[in-house]
Amino acid sequence: MSPHLSPELAVLVVGIALAVGVYVVAVLDQAIGEQVGGARPRLQRVVLDPFRSSALLLIQQRRTTERTDAPGWLLAPALLMALAALALALVPLGPTEVAADPDTGFVIFAAAIAFVMIAVYLHGWSPNSVFPLHGAYRFGAQSLSSQMPFLLAMLATTLPAESLSIVDIVAAQESVWNVIRQPLGLPLYLIVGVAVSFWGPLNLPDAADLAGGTSAEDSGVARLMWKAARAAMLVAVAAMGATGFLGGWWGPWLPGAAWVILKTLALLILLVAAGHLLARVRIEGFVVVCWALLIPLALLNIFVSGAVLL
Amino acid sequence: MNEPLLAEVLFGVFALGSVLTGYRVFRTDSMVRAAFFLLASFAAVGGMLVILGAEFLGMVLILMMAGEMLIMAVVMVMFMMNPAGLNPMWMVHQHRVAVAAGVISFLAIASLGFLVEFPENLNPQPGMATTELGIELLGDSMLVFQTAGVLLLSTMIGAVAIASCRGRYGDAEEGAEEPVLELDGDAS
Repeated sequence: MSPHLSPELAVLVVGIALAVGVYVVAVLDQAIGEQVGGARPRLQRVVLDPFRSSALLLIQQRRTTERTDAPGWLLAPALLMALAALALALVPLGPTEVAADPDTGFVIFAAAIAFVMIAVYLHGWSPNSVFPLHGAYRFGAQSLSSQMPFLLAMLATTLPAESLSIVDIVAAQESVWNVIRQPLGLPLYLIVGVAVSFWGPLNLPDAADLAGGTSAEDSGVARLMWKAARAAMLVAVAAMGATGFLGGWWGPWLPGAAWVILKTLALLILLVAAGHLLARVRIEGFVVVCWALLIPLALLNIFVSGAVLL
Repeated sequence: MNEPLLAEVLFGVFALGSVLTGYRVFRTDSMVRAAFFLLASFAAVGGMLVILGAEFLGMVLILMMAGEMLIMAVVMVMFMMNPAGLNPMWMVHQHRVAVAAGVISFLAIASLGFLVEFPENLNPQPGMATTELGIELLGDSMLVFQTAGVLLLSTMIGAVAIASCRGRYGDAEEGAEEPVLELDGDAS
């Protein structure tokens, strides 16, 4: 468990990745939304809008509900943001440019993903209000179903590397990227990645039909924090997808870090565009698809990858 | 701060934290809070395992407990008919028996720490713990673990099949539908 970047630099890199990532998600969301809506996105508006809406939320009045669980309500956005930071710290920008490369990197990423449901449930339960609680219950069903195929798809990438370390997973993709070696892997990862970061067609816990779901009672800074943490989680999912399936730092001409950033950006555009182009999915149908279709496909992916390696 | 000292301090923080949050499980007045305190307690135990060199076991413990505690909170709120689990309630029954059982089992398990002979080499090679665990699981203990694993898996599939919408007794919502009101008094 030896950090390759010095601790100070590692903290700085993860912090910058979080801040820039959240901003990029906000800009992409606005630009793609306007494009899909038929308006020509105006550069000035798209670039400045995230700052405007953040400033508005920062000075907004805080309101509260009756008999809340105040510590839990405060903790939830911080927990989600910390989980995104944890996942981003595992993403290598190069063979040695990584904040942390533990031997059990994959398991730590899996634990971070599993704790997302704790953060969302806490966020929906603590305001003691009916719509947020509905959102929390939805995410319980959604995440218990989606995390299995998500982590199984990611688990298959550890087979060619013969290691649970994320750096080894990228290093093993020098000749062939996992997206070619395991054709089922990336589509599965992205479909359920949308569900894990509750974005786009699968933003059921925070959906508009529940008046905002788990964030229905949020206001001011707390709302800003939750939105930022959600975007950060999407960035973490995209970065890990680029690492696990698109070959991470491997690529011609450009330095490794640039490739990681470009691949992450490509996946982010795909994920954010899905939110504007696809209709929202119903939770009942999604749960059935997860258990009956996606988990068997993810297992098949693992068996085939294992058989090919043998 | 040098690394061994940092590890000692962190171990102490996790150990104290796991006991304190474990105590809070029984002193809090809400089921969901109790589940989250229990999760914090298990996460601290996972942190202790990581510091002791069992990285894989520690992280898997933390990973598994997140899902389990969420299911526990959801099911408890569902069965207790307590809106959102935020209404105050007692988390314990039979206080004296519970306290006695808790103290006795804590002493029994803690005494193991003094009775067991620990190996000399407490600092294995980094990463070796995971490798050795894999060899153990797929070597000498393979029969035991595979039997238990397949048994658990078939139990889960069976439970899902019984609870699923299209079970062998027909659709799940059939029994839950309200009887049709016949205005004419024709019961059939």
